[in-house]
Amino acid sequence: MPLDTMSDEPDEILLVLFANGNASAARALTARLTPRVMGHAYRLLGNHAEAEDVTQEAMLRLWKIAPEWRQGEAKVTTWLYRVVANLCIDLRRRARGVALDSIPEPEDGRASVTDHMQAEARAEALQTALDQLPDRQRQAVVLRHIEGLANPEIAEIMDITTEAVESLTARGKRALTAALAGRQEELGYGDE
Amino acid sequence: MAMSDKDDMPGLEVFFDAARRHGAEPSVALLARIDEDAQAVQALARRPAPHPTRRSTLSTRLYRLLGGWPAVTGLATAAMAGVWLGISLPEGILDGAGESAYLIDVAPELAFDLAGGEF
Repeated sequence: MPLDTMSDEPDEILLVLFANGNASAARALTARLTPRVMGHAYRLLGNHAEAEDVTQEAMLRLWKIAPEWRQGEAKVTTWLYRVVANLCIDLRRRARGVALDSIPEPEDGRASVTDHMQAEARAEALQTALDQLPDRQRQAVVLRHIEGLANPEIAEIMDITTEAVESLTARGKRALTAALAGRQEELGYGDE
Repeated sequence: MAMSDKDDMPGLEVFFDAARRHGAEPSVALLARIDEDAQAVQALARRPAPHPTRRSTLSTRLYRLLGGWPAVTGLATAAMAGVWLGISLPEGILDGAGESAYLIDVAPELAFDLAGGEF
């Protein structure tokens, strides 16, 4: 099956095709899932190079599990979010104490840049604030408010109750609000 | 996303929106590495299972048919026990049974025939 005809196929079907040796399914899954995996890994890690390593490892695990994939048990993306989170948490635990010092602070003078640059600065500021959160709070906030997942799916990914998800996101947002409060004017907070 | 989530801390939504528009993109090199991994995993899965190096002989097939080493071990033990009982029957087995144990006639009609009908 050619790559362009696979764009409408669900991830689970593509994974079965991949396990059957279909090279187009591999390319379609890579093109579809890698940006999401990479984006999520970066938001959890705040480091581009590490996020790339985690993304490659998560996708490799997906390729390896493909022959054993059981239809209907979990969405491929749910499984991937869980694998990415576990890999990121392991990585951060190994690098604790080093990573926090290496997080770049946004440069001064952002208030005068264009809207595009301003949005980029906001994203960067949010990333810096996210990096200060405890792992589970960061994961819950990113899944809920950036990836846009529903609480039940987040609960499945994190293996906790929906009430626990709500609690984690609430505490995470309070911490983010406090962390970003001092940068409102600098980042055009009041413009919206 | 539920409106209540946006309403409770409206200032954060500006940052979340910016993060959604400025996510980290995978590099071309990363996509190529992931594609290579996929091909390698598929190639490994296509490799045929290794064939047995020796043809199975009749004795090997019989061995497998019987159920492998546990069954063959049991058979060998039973055979050895039979041989041992045949060579040296333990005295204790016949104690109390007396000579009658030897006189059980399992085919009396055959004995009658051999005796020419005179019994």
